Amino acid sequence: MADDITASRLHLCDLLNGLGHQAQGVDSGSAAIEQARAQAPDVVLLDLLMPGMDGFEVTQRIRELITDRWLPVIVTSSLEGEEHFIHALSQGADDYLVRPISAGLLQAKLRHYAKVLGLQSRLAAMAQRQRAIHDNIHDAVITFDDLGLIEGGNPAAARLFACDERHLTGQLVEAAMGASLPDLLVQRELPLRRADGSVFPAELALSDWTEQGRVQHTLVIRDLTERRRVERMKDEFLATVSHELRTPLTSIRGALGLLASGSAGALPKAAMPLAEMAKRNAERLSHLIDDILDLTKLEGNQMVMQLRLMRLDALLREAITTNQGYALRVGVTLGADLPEGCPQVRVDGERFLQVMANLLSNAIKHSADGDAVVVSLDWTVSHVRVSVRDRGPGVDPRFRGRMFEKFSQADGSDQRAKGGTGLGLYISRMLIERMGGLLSVESVPGEGATFSVELPRDDAAATVWTPWVLHIDNDLDSRRRLVDWLSSLCRVEGAPDLQQAQGLVSQGSVPIIIADPRAQGAAEEFCLSLKRLASTRPVILYSDGVDQSFVDHMGMQWLRKSHASRDELLAAVRSAIIKASGQESP
Amino acid sequence: MRSLQRVMCVEDDPDIRMILEFSLATVGGYDVCMCAGGQLAIEQAAAFKPDLVLLDVMMPGLTGPQTLVALRSQPVMTGVPVVFLTAKAMPDEVEELLLYGATGVIVKPFDPVKLPEDIRIYWEHGGGRRTD
Repeated sequence: MADDITASRLHLCDLLNGLGHQAQGVDSGSAAIEQARAQAPDVVLLDLLMPGMDGFEVTQRIRELITDRWLPVIVTSSLEGEEHFIHALSQGADDYLVRPISAGLLQAKLRHYAKVLGLQSRLAAMAQRQRAIHDNIHDAVITFDDLGLIEGGNPAAARLFACDERHLTGQLVEAAMGASLPDLLVQRELPLRRADGSVFPAELALSDWTEQGRVQHTLVIRDLTERRRVERMKDEFLATVSHELRTPLTSIRGALGLLASGSAGALPKAAMPLAEMAKRNAERLSHLIDDILDLTKLEGNQMVMQLRLMRLDALLREAITTNQGYALRVGVTLGADLPEGCPQVRVDGERFLQVMANLLSNAIKHSADGDAVVVSLDWTVSHVRVSVRDRGPGVDPRFRGRMFEKFSQADGSDQRAKGGTGLGLYISRMLIERMGGLLSVESVPGEGATFSVELPRDDAAATVWTPWVLHIDNDLDSRRRLVDWLSSLCRVEGAPDLQQAQGLVSQGSVPIIIADPRAQGAAEEFCLSLKRLASTRPVILYSDGVDQSFVDHMGMQWLRKSHASRDELLAAVRSAIIKASGQESP
Repeated sequence: MRSLQRVMCVEDDPDIRMILEFSLATVGGYDVCMCAGGQLAIEQAAAFKPDLVLLDVMMPGLTGPQTLVALRSQPVMTGVPVVFLTAKAMPDEVEELLLYGATGVIVKPFDPVKLPEDIRIYWEHGGGRRTD
């Protein structure tokens, strides 16, 4: 509190102390400025009229000197009129009190300033906290506007770009980081340039926010140099491990093979199975190494695919020949249904054979002595499908969801005994997906499993027929059930009667028709209308209201509504789609 | 067409060399020249006059591909198929080896009982030397 008149200064100080504040009085403007700097008061009270430096000037000086925080300045005066107060406020004062000062008013004002100052210090603490996080975060953070002008970066950003923090601010991103604004906004990984001209690989994470209607971008940048180095080391390590593991394995496998073959002289009878067993396990170990290397390459996205147009029937014959030995050993026959004229697909031949070897050995492994494993080939206008079917125990429904996962093997002692790395199906699915195809399984427990590889036809025209099912049934529940059952396979439309069905067909391509003649008038007439509607496409009667002789008479396929399971219906529709697609294939 | 008789085999690992020798000489009945490295193979090729060369890829000193290039410059190697023997089994790496002008690639671990037959097939299909 500054006042040159001692009496009024002391009075005001007493008043302030009485209100519970700590007051310090000074007798001049210059002393006020000095104390404001040295003691860091919360509020300054100034008499406007003082000799030397008056209150106006002190206010102005305080505003110039103390910029890191807000210091409320209240001016006091006993002068008549309001001009001098207006002047003081325009000089930077926050408030005024008319002398003689009322204790009540002073108390109310100080309470108000205490509240505002409390808010201010909370805000300052919050800002400081944010600042500390921003400054100490390990990742580089740079904020720029939609023109690419950098508004600021944290110390990590300055370190990353080998420059001063202030150097970043106000620069364009292109100049500061060596990457264009559009690239920075879109790419997740980019080479960036430091101030010294060196370039490093960076991972980028961008977030956008709006400040007063202007878009701001905050970019978190991570230097990938170290990660890349580790990846390279891992690759080299794997290559070395692969070589170092295979070299001794080659000798072991070779020596055991020669022993078991009798090339090194006949083995005693009891020793033969031991040599065979050791040889088999050396082979198994070698497959495990192959699988782990494949896995590493696939997951690191480093597998190079040599995609070429190929005929699958030739590849499948090769796959069957290669796996014939294993099948014969365990008494399983390998059958093939490979029709002529299969369209070509784009595959990596070696990798396709690897997948087939996996599917075939799985199928053989799970077949009993005397069973058959059948490889078949069929195609639609858009896809070629290879199926490997076995008559083994099938896939446990509980395992089905996990069977294409890494290291997954159906648990249970009997399956364990079948061996394998648990990587085969996972690798196979990834390989097929890299070729643009799909690997899936269908299985009825106890009846075997069918693994299917579907690959897109290379000659598939853009305007191929997209299979869809039209279900005509006046029972809404039945229509809903079929949508539920079949929509994983293709689009399903329902219609309660022929008239609405015709409306649906006339709008688009011809569907596969599933229908129930019940409650549709004369059954025969209804079915003849269906045939006209379906043109050459298959018609499936899904009904409890017809009998075998009627179905034979109409030449249609029949599934009993009360008997047919979801899988039966799916199978029927799938084969109808294949049949219908075959009609359109050139 | 004469049959495959003389096989030169280049492999640095002594144990694998022993398996190869057993396989090719004892099981296959070929005349075999075993070399512990690329340099030895280059020195002995002219004297041995191989019908086929079986060449390890990763070797200290000269690598398999380097040895192949050097061997190819010798007149005695004209039309002689070279088959790589490699522990690397990645198909893209196999393709790369074939680009060096090899006739085939045999992946380790190999079956020593089948190896004599496998290289005979390579010899026949890979333009084995014919005598008129």
